[in-house]
Amino acid sequence: MRNLIAFFRRFRVFLVFALLQVIALSTYFSFLQYPRAQYLTSASNVSGAILKARFDLTKHFNLSKNNENLQRENVALRNRLPMSYIQLQNGLVKINDTLFNQQYEYIPATVINSTLTKRNNYFTLNVGYAQGVKRGMGVFSEKGIVGRVHNSSKHFAVVKSVLTENINIDVMVEKLGLFGLMKWDGRDPRFGNITGISNDLKLKKWLKVVTRGGSGIFPRGLTVGYIAKLKPVEGKPLWDVIIRYSEDYRTLQRVYVIKNLLSEEQQKLELAVPSDNDQQEE
Amino acid sequence: MNDVIKHSIRFIVLVLIQTLFLNQLELGWGIQLMVYPLFIALLPFEIATIPMLLLAFLMGISIDAISNTYGLHTSSLLLIAYMRPGVFKLFAPRDGYDNLKEGTSFHMGMRWFISVYGTLLFTHHFFFFIVEIFRFSDFLFILQKTVLSLPLSFLLSLLLQALFVSKPKER
Repeated sequence: MRNLIAFFRRFRVFLVFALLQVIALSTYFSFLQYPRAQYLTSASNVSGAILKARFDLTKHFNLSKNNENLQRENVALRNRLPMSYIQLQNGLVKINDTLFNQQYEYIPATVINSTLTKRNNYFTLNVGYAQGVKRGMGVFSEKGIVGRVHNSSKHFAVVKSVLTENINIDVMVEKLGLFGLMKWDGRDPRFGNITGISNDLKLKKWLKVVTRGGSGIFPRGLTVGYIAKLKPVEGKPLWDVIIRYSEDYRTLQRVYVIKNLLSEEQQKLELAVPSDNDQQEE
Repeated sequence: MNDVIKHSIRFIVLVLIQTLFLNQLELGWGIQLMVYPLFIALLPFEIATIPMLLLAFLMGISIDAISNTYGLHTSSLLLIAYMRPGVFKLFAPRDGYDNLKEGTSFHMGMRWFISVYGTLLFTHHFFFFIVEIFRFSDFLFILQKTVLSLPLSFLLSLLLQALFVSKPKER
């Protein structure tokens, strides 16, 4: 009898352990696919507040570099203002543009937490659905793309960065127009991979890689990086293209969230096409 | 000092050190420093396993919630909390554990600390990187991460212990 009780005592410990372990592992593996429990992420109020307090302490560390970047961007934008152009021809008036409608709007944001050494790295932004940030929106910075919004609460959002395994962003080699999917192999936060480029195509180092803009998350032509190395994939007629990201994610602070004003229209149209891939993800 | 207050302070300090400082460091070569297993190792000798598992779960969840790892830290910490009674029994001193002492290197000696804490930390790191990468073809990378991170985490734990855990008074 005493042995029986002792047996159950040991068994009880194992049961508690197994139960907690199953909770932990199942949240880990299901979170990579879909954010179910928001209170477990840094988008929740408590951990969001802790991270914000830390960010308030450390935000000045890269201040001069960030200011420099913003200034450079300002110069580029200022160059395109009407006041920096000289009028060559009199009599031209600006009329309401019927050729171009605005498709993308940008929401400024700041990265308040980021990891770089994990297999899947998520960044926390200080904007949430109160500012119009929703799941699936693209995020980029002045120098390159950053990722997609994975989850958002009222004042915070978690971004699935380009430093995750299944980020799968549509990219293309700018001059040649070759398409591929961008992935990350989990080693070095400075380099990413592109898969799906056939190896009969002539590629060169230092060609610029930009977003393709196919899925309506990123506008076409945002810089991603530059080709750093080409390796043939064993047993497949494909190149394994390694690119160097144009953004240094280790010092990333100021980013922009992309709001696509026409995304509903595009999604409605594309959902009407029968397909067997991951359309039902959302 | 009251034991409950002492361990609560250690809990909070270790969670904050881990999430606000160590998880932000990028040392390259896949090195990741983790010192929070120290909390589990320094819990009193007489603590029962189930409360310890619950504490480990709580600590892991707090770290995961702040650093967006969704259960990864929790899972590894639970494993070593479950293993702790076994490891302690394996390396038990000849006349058993004295409940007045703590599992620090000052109380139990450096040799004991290296074997016990080393075992726990190795299990924690190895399991953590296996679950994190979760791909057999990257096994060498898992080993590299474990082998490089383990000594640094261990040294950092020793340092934290020397700085923040009070030494026993000479009698």
